[in-house]
Amino acid sequence: MDQLLKTNLTAAGVDVEAAVSRLMGNEALLERLLRKFAADANFAALKAAVKDGNREQALAASHTLKGMTGNLSMTVLFDLFSRQVEAIRGGDWERAVSLMDEITPARERVLSLIETL
Amino acid sequence: MAAASSDPFPLPAQNTLLIVDDDEINCIVLENLFEPYYETQTAENGREGLSRILADPERYCAILLDVIMPEMDGLEVLHRLAAERLLSRLPVFLITAETSDSVMEEAYRLGVMDVIGKPIIPYVVLRRVQSVIELFQARRRLSSVVIAQQSELYERARKIAELSTGMIEALAAAIEFRSGESGGHVRRIRDITHFLLTRTELGEGLSGETIDQISLAAVMHDVGKIAIPDAILNKPGKLTAEEFEIMKTHTTQGALLLEKIPQLRENEAYLYARDIALHHHERWDGRGYPEGLAGDSISIWAQIVSLADVYDALSCKRIYKDAFPRETVLQMIRDGQCGVFNPRLLDCFFAVEEELSALYRPGLE
Repeated sequence: MDQLLKTNLTAAGVDVEAAVSRLMGNEALLERLLRKFAADANFAALKAAVKDGNREQALAASHTLKGMTGNLSMTVLFDLFSRQVEAIRGGDWERAVSLMDEITPARERVLSLIETL
Repeated sequence: MAAASSDPFPLPAQNTLLIVDDDEINCIVLENLFEPYYETQTAENGREGLSRILADPERYCAILLDVIMPEMDGLEVLHRLAAERLLSRLPVFLITAETSDSVMEEAYRLGVMDVIGKPIIPYVVLRRVQSVIELFQARRRLSSVVIAQQSELYERARKIAELSTGMIEALAAAIEFRSGESGGHVRRIRDITHFLLTRTELGEGLSGETIDQISLAAVMHDVGKIAIPDAILNKPGKLTAEEFEIMKTHTTQGALLLEKIPQLRENEAYLYARDIALHHHERWDGRGYPEGLAGDSISIWAQIVSLADVYDALSCKRIYKDAFPRETVLQMIRDGQCGVFNPRLLDCFFAVEEELSALYRPGLE
């Protein structure tokens, strides 16, 4: 992973340094996990659940994404998914739905960088 | 003693760490963290994790458990492990973003070792998990050492008991040597007593341990003979009335001798030994000695030793007589030529005498 990508990822809300240290300095493993994150099906499941108004499935998917983004130190996304999980749990479905407008572009931004790996 | 310097109490290897989480990335992060120290395994939901644990609980040193998972969630896994009583020897860590009070409370109530928040901080998780694993392994090692030492102590106690039994038999046999016998007599008296108490109704209500004590006590029935002068003890012919009076005192002398051994008085066998030494020449009709006790006022063990003594004396060669054939022995006992016995005792004796007669097969002694 070159320095430019690190800088860009950091600007996109990924604390690369923290993520590498969570992986005990294993940068190659971080790259592998970032690709896994990009290929993960939970975001598609979340979108579908939000569209169908299926709160239970939306909660499960959002919760899993919260866990992943947390482990990968994607601080911006982690914060957004945390708020979404909280909103669904608290019964504020509209807020959970509207958070998708922030989540989607933030995720796109990270994904476009992961593609360059 | 080649292995003496290595581990004296080896334990089966218990070095696998199981990570149960539906989030693959989280599994990989944890595996990456623990791999240098433990063999790691992952399970993608609670059901799979539980079945792995139950299939081989001994192989795991710790379980890292997510809470929200498909199929079976982490708290349900905890419930099942608690029901199997595994949580006391297998530390389980909840790794979760759900640090809500109710989840934590239930997890700790069920016996979880620790609740670790996600996203994990590697050095914290590593240290907390390793410390607990070390603690559990130390505890397990200690308890296996205690068990090993305990069985060693039992073994020593058994050897000491065996030694004192051996010394009692040696004492009795030494006294017997004076009458020109070989020690076989006391052993046979012990065996006949044991046999009648274990194989007939005579031993009803007595524990195996008590029967062992009585059989050991039977060995000492004639210790009082040590106080009888050689001239009387080894006289080939019939004793005079005066000599017989002295001979009879071996019962009271035996009781006195046993009373004077303090170590023996602390032994359970003592009361039986004293009673048997004193009363093994009493008779069912009250015409025995030294006290002239009759019927059931003579203890059943003294009665048994009395009969065993007669049976053995008749069946073997003695200084004053030859061995009688088996049929003659039985006839003499049946006719009351050698004393009057409890009819119930005789019934039991005759019922198993065939087996007892094996003690006197030629060549045995």
